Amino acid sequence: MKEQVLNILEEIRPDVDFENEKLLIDDGVLDSFDIISIVQEFNDNFSIEIDVEDLEPDNFNTVEAMVKLIQKLQE
Amino acid sequence: MTFVSLPFFLFVFGLVVVYFLTPQKYQWLVLLVASYAFYWLNSKWLVLVLWGSTMVTFLTGFLLQKVYDKNQQAMQALGDQLTKDIKKQMKAQVKRAGKRIMLVGVLLVTAALLMLKYFNFFGENLNQLFQSLHWGATIPRLNLLLPLGISYYTLQAIAYMVDVYREKTCADRNPLRFMLFLSFFPQIVQGPIARHSQLAKQLYAGHRFDFRQCCFGAQLVLWGLFKKLVIAERLAIPVNYMFQHYNSFSGPILFLTVALYGLQVYTDFSGGMEIARGVAQMLGIELELNFKQPYFSTSIEDFWRRWHITMGSWMKDYIFYPLSLSKAFTKLSRRSRKILGQYVGKRLPAFLAMFIVYFLVGFWHGANWKYVVYGLWNGTFIMSGILLEGVYAKAREKCGIQEEMVTWRMFRMIRTFVIVSFGRFFSGALNLSTALTMFQRTFYHWKDISFLTNGKLFDLGHNNANWILLVVAIVVLFYVDYVHEMGVHLREVLARQPLVFRWVIYIGAILVVMIFGHYGPAYDAASFIYEQF
Repeated sequence: MKEQVLNILEEIRPDVDFENEKLLIDDGVLDSFDIISIVQEFNDNFSIEIDVEDLEPDNFNTVEAMVKLIQKLQE
Repeated sequence: MTFVSLPFFLFVFGLVVVYFLTPQKYQWLVLLVASYAFYWLNSKWLVLVLWGSTMVTFLTGFLLQKVYDKNQQAMQALGDQLTKDIKKQMKAQVKRAGKRIMLVGVLLVTAALLMLKYFNFFGENLNQLFQSLHWGATIPRLNLLLPLGISYYTLQAIAYMVDVYREKTCADRNPLRFMLFLSFFPQIVQGPIARHSQLAKQLYAGHRFDFRQCCFGAQLVLWGLFKKLVIAERLAIPVNYMFQHYNSFSGPILFLTVALYGLQVYTDFSGGMEIARGVAQMLGIELELNFKQPYFSTSIEDFWRRWHITMGSWMKDYIFYPLSLSKAFTKLSRRSRKILGQYVGKRLPAFLAMFIVYFLVGFWHGANWKYVVYGLWNGTFIMSGILLEGVYAKAREKCGIQEEMVTWRMFRMIRTFVIVSFGRFFSGALNLSTALTMFQRTFYHWKDISFLTNGKLFDLGHNNANWILLVVAIVVLFYVDYVHEMGVHLREVLARQPLVFRWVIYIGAILVVMIFGHYGPAYDAASFIYEQF
């Protein structure tokens, strides 16, 4: 899953080193438009529904956190 | 009693003494009394509007928490019988109930804001519509007074109710404490718009007197006074003159008008913010940063990340994200992808949400169409920037421009400044038609630069000495902003200097504000530009 998440992220923001960035939200690497695009892609690709309440920095600061969120919503 | 009056500083001094002499357990009560006293002194009986909104917000949070707690207890009571499906079902049920409670609370406090701030605006526009349709009905104009800070505390109240609903913060159970959260006097006038999870605990906790924090707070207040009294008030004279006599000025002077007006708004608003944050810091409370060197922005999007930050983040969390991720917008996205293709279709819901956000940002500033256009002016540039990102990237590549180039960064900063400045016509002019006329006139007579030599520039209410003083003060302002942009914490640097040097700086700064602060006949100590919003 991590590979698929990385592909989605790199397609949206090819200029970001997602493997090594650990504070994607807190450091302002991703903006609100990126977040909306990412959520749309995750919803479509993983058949989940990310709610506005899930838009916490902790859920989007790293690739691992995003994978964890997707897994939680798939349960 | 405003932030730049002697009574206010006597009030703050007295409060700091009483606050730190009071046992920590009761310090919040001192703040509550001081906050309501401040509000009463400024707004008299309008305090009841603040109290009413506070009670509605408190009760909404209280009921939400009660519903959530009851559900939690019910789930615990089920013990082993609580399966994943039942848990999900119960959570969905309680969320539905919670949503209804939250919406009632949000509608009630928003209705108070709409009624008091926008009733006459809606009335006038509807009357015009009725007239054009030849209907006899007219909506009367009401003489409504706007309670101090209603545009700020209403947003703070909405954020609280939504956060309790989203379970991002726990509801307050003590109505008196909650009254303090919505009335804390340094931020009631013009923000920053705080979140409950960030501010409430600080307000309710006791604080020990910390000399260093108190000094830092006082320095921030002094810097705020410098911005407000030395720069903003001094800029107000030529800016007001130029806005009133725009018909007699050529393009370059009109552009100078909006550029100076932008600077006036920045120093006025951020100066007030510095005073608010400084006073709070003296009491051991840290308020959120509302400005981050906006003149160093490299795009309009970047500008709005640095300007009125707490408002931007409020709009993002409570309007932009909920709209973009709503079912209706998701459906729209799927449909538009089929019709308009992947690239536009995917972005359309976010663009639409962004359009609504900037409409609201404009409308929040005031009940006038000029503010709506001001909001949309900014929103349009942000959207076009995102939409044309690929085109710009290709153009940069063709021209051999690299993102890291200093000249490229400078160009982007100037470009942002020009766009923001033109947008200021809409917020600064008397009304929309005046703004459009000024906007149009700005492009006339650019070849005529005689204003630089004919002395007209100095005929705007200030003598040469005042202009020189303004230029020096603005250079100081930009130097400080530049140092902050470089990540240097000036107050900490100053704290490491020898005692004598420090006190020379402090006394010098106090003297500068006292001597060069603008207290002329046109000076009105009551007004902060953003206070009226």
